[in-house]
Amino acid sequence: METTKQNKVKFVGDGIIIFHDVAGAMKGERTVKAAEYDVKLVAPPPELRIGCDLALEINLVEQAGIERLFKEKGVPFVSIMPLKKNASQMCDIVKVTDFGKWVMVKAGNMKLSYEKGSGIIVNVSGGGCPDIPYLNAEMVDKPLASAPQPNVLGYTLCAIMLQRAYEEALSIYNGGGVS
Amino acid sequence: MMLLFGTVPSKDLPMTYGQVRQEGDYLLADGQRFSRTQGTGAMISAALAITNYFKLEAPHVLVAGDIGDGKGTRDMYKYLTEHIVELAPDVLTMHYSLPIMALLKKLLETIKGCARRPFMIADAGAMYAAKGAGLAPEFDIFTPDPSEIAFLADPQATHPAYISHHLFACDADKIPGQIADAFKNNSAAKLLLVKGKTDYIATKGEILATITEPNVPTLEPIGGTGDTITGLVSGLVYAGLEPRDAAIYACRTNRMAGLLAKPTPATKVKDIVDQFSVVAAQNYCSWTGICEATPVDRRRHV
Repeated sequence: METTKQNKVKFVGDGIIIFHDVAGAMKGERTVKAAEYDVKLVAPPPELRIGCDLALEINLVEQAGIERLFKEKGVPFVSIMPLKKNASQMCDIVKVTDFGKWVMVKAGNMKLSYEKGSGIIVNVSGGGCPDIPYLNAEMVDKPLASAPQPNVLGYTLCAIMLQRAYEEALSIYNGGGVS
Repeated sequence: MMLLFGTVPSKDLPMTYGQVRQEGDYLLADGQRFSRTQGTGAMISAALAITNYFKLEAPHVLVAGDIGDGKGTRDMYKYLTEHIVELAPDVLTMHYSLPIMALLKKLLETIKGCARRPFMIADAGAMYAAKGAGLAPEFDIFTPDPSEIAFLADPQATHPAYISHHLFACDADKIPGQIADAFKNNSAAKLLLVKGKTDYIATKGEILATITEPNVPTLEPIGGTGDTITGLVSGLVYAGLEPRDAAIYACRTNRMAGLLAKPTPATKVKDIVDQFSVVAAQNYCSWTGICEATPVDRRRHV
């Protein structure tokens, strides 16, 4: 009799969550697994050992969703960061383009455009994660001040960058200029 | 068969596989309706415009609702990995999806079992996953924008949000160097179509062509105008054009459609998509040499 064994693909993430202690890491694992995120418990690389010797490896792109989940469930953690040694920090460069009646604000790979007079969001572009078209649908044609915010509805790094563009756009619209 | 893979911004759309057609502002496949105006929908609409023009079989799509939690993405990868050998697409374009490297790795392992390897194009989350997993050279075409070519050029970055400052401060004149770095780091597909103020077509670190005209600055704020280029190049490759030519004509088509639409930053991408058939009718005879809109020998290159 012949049997076939299929090896399960071992999860390999590119981000790591550092916790204050082992219990926190274990609670964090339970919480994200219950929400069906891919995750595994790992020993953090030496250069990232801040609190304990247990951390969670995650898909970094899911950072925003996991952060919100931890907030909702009351799971304390120290930080979330890229796993690769010497990895770059999150981009914080903002560019603003004046199109006359409209303004486009670009943060990292994300762009948000609004009408100067009304503050209505007219377009969202950039990014490649699934929450961006969803955020486009939810935010476009709504005023900056009352539109749903990416850090509430989004899950990914693209959403974090769009939140940055949104905050800058709101600041400019309110007369504050680029912060 | 051309297969277009990507998530759509819906909480309710189940994973759906089928041949696609347009109905007003929507796309229909296997009885399911989804928007043609954003992300994957814009990409599919552009590819559909090309297959309609060349009178080719309409694209098949594998789509699922995903608002960023990755559930639709996982369903799509599972289905495609289980069925790719029997589906045997000639062209496979992978688009919006949560960049989950392990799932892409498993899919590409399975594709090795296909009797004929599909011509593979990636953009958006699928491109991020390919780069992050070190699988970029497995693909035939990537279609990055300027921030994404900076991401491909950064050997450490696993997402465009984490690219180094010196790479992100992307003056247009840095893009050729970033293209060279992306190839050097094995983070590029065989051909790169870098879409931006200047479009670059490159292979093996060498820039083959640049496209700058017509210049329509108001295309940049419009969500989906990069997605349409991915759909156009997919359709043109499926129609049998050389990848290099397909990339050049995709860029020209997008720009000329933009010009015809007279866009403002408030224009929606569907208004650009609606001009593709006009651009094709006016120009494809002289550009491609295919002057009869009849089925062409599309197996020359795929």
